[in-house]
Amino acid sequence: MFKLSRKTVINFVLLVCAVFLISAFSPFFKNSAQKTFQSHLSLIGLLKRECAGIIFYHRNMVEFARLNNETENLRRRIFDLREVEQENTRLKGLLSFKQKSSLRLVAARVIARSPDSWSSSVIIDKGRYNGIRPGMAVINTQGLVGRVMESAEGSSKILLVNDPSQGISSIVQRSRQEGLVNGSLGPNLIMRYLPVDAQIAAGDIIITSELSQVYPKGLLVGKVINIGKEFSGLSRYAVVKPAADLSGIEEVLVIIP
Amino acid sequence: MKKWLSIFFVLILLTTLQLSWPVSLSFFNTKPDFLLIFVVSLVFYFNFKIALILAILAGLLKDAFLPSGMAMNTILFSVWSYLTFRLSSQISTENNYVRLGIILIIAVLNNTVLGVQNLNSGNYIPAGIFLRNLLISSVYTGAVSPLIFKLTKKISA
Repeated sequence: MFKLSRKTVINFVLLVCAVFLISAFSPFFKNSAQKTFQSHLSLIGLLKRECAGIIFYHRNMVEFARLNNETENLRRRIFDLREVEQENTRLKGLLSFKQKSSLRLVAARVIARSPDSWSSSVIIDKGRYNGIRPGMAVINTQGLVGRVMESAEGSSKILLVNDPSQGISSIVQRSRQEGLVNGSLGPNLIMRYLPVDAQIAAGDIIITSELSQVYPKGLLVGKVINIGKEFSGLSRYAVVKPAADLSGIEEVLVIIP
Repeated sequence: MKKWLSIFFVLILLTTLQLSWPVSLSFFNTKPDFLLIFVVSLVFYFNFKIALILAILAGLLKDAFLPSGMAMNTILFSVWSYLTFRLSSQISTENNYVRLGIILIIAVLNNTVLGVQNLNSGNYIPAGIFLRNLLISSVYTGAVSPLIFKLTKKISA
């Protein structure tokens, strides 16, 4: 049925070579494509947000009342904690601790999502112009979101924590047990390479470890929801629910080191 | 000239739709592949050379927004375009159900290649999620394909 002539095969091989050449120059194409789509993707994002605001008016109203109540409680707690903070500063000074510099953050909006189901990434509306470079960690108010993969002039591509190519060196906050958190394209992450006698249980908090060269130490990754044994029986794994809601992510903060 | 403008407009529209597909319309975290449907439908309604050029362009556009560096979609789209052309010269593809079947098969093959390539690069994907992406995404692609076929038919007229 598919008898291919020599000419057809040669033409096709030439075409594949041409595609590989194009992919070699793809950073130029990628930047141009992202730049072309950036403006109207931002506009569509804005329209989607406005429409969702109108459609979910009642839900938003209830949420607003709940958040207002929570804000009042938090305001009271801040007042109490300010006192503790001052005490902490005084004690640190007494112990001659080096003051750790606070993180510098750049806020950005998500304007597009991964075009296929085999990767988990988003595109944000800030790029090199705003000081964003590949390899920088990305968080939101809930926890770790991912890292910057590529940055164009006015936009950047973020690889989310649930992408399978992600590997985050992490620890269990309670027991300091180390492991590697991988994405699985699903809603949960998998913490692997845990010894059989690892001190880990459901409900434990997972944070980034200081061994990670990309992510600053102590960023909240998620919570353990289940523990299992690897097929080989040599190690265990933990299913981790990410702290950040990755499917509904709208705003992120890029950490500028 | 008007036809080319319409084609580029549809290409940009479908890429935008692919990038900003609402989460509420995603089934099990999967979304339809509008660009793949467009690439195949171009073979049915346009000259093969035009279809092939647009398949490469659509693949490049899709790859531009993906995290992987390799132009996998560019190659795959051109291969599917060529194979559809060969197939349409052997069997009748006038019937809408036949077209739907072709899209479904191509979507499954496309997802299989992308999934295997993902596994081959050392990434860990649980079997359930692999099958979910393979089957649900392909069926979803097939389900929305009649709309894109109608659109392509309209711009080809």
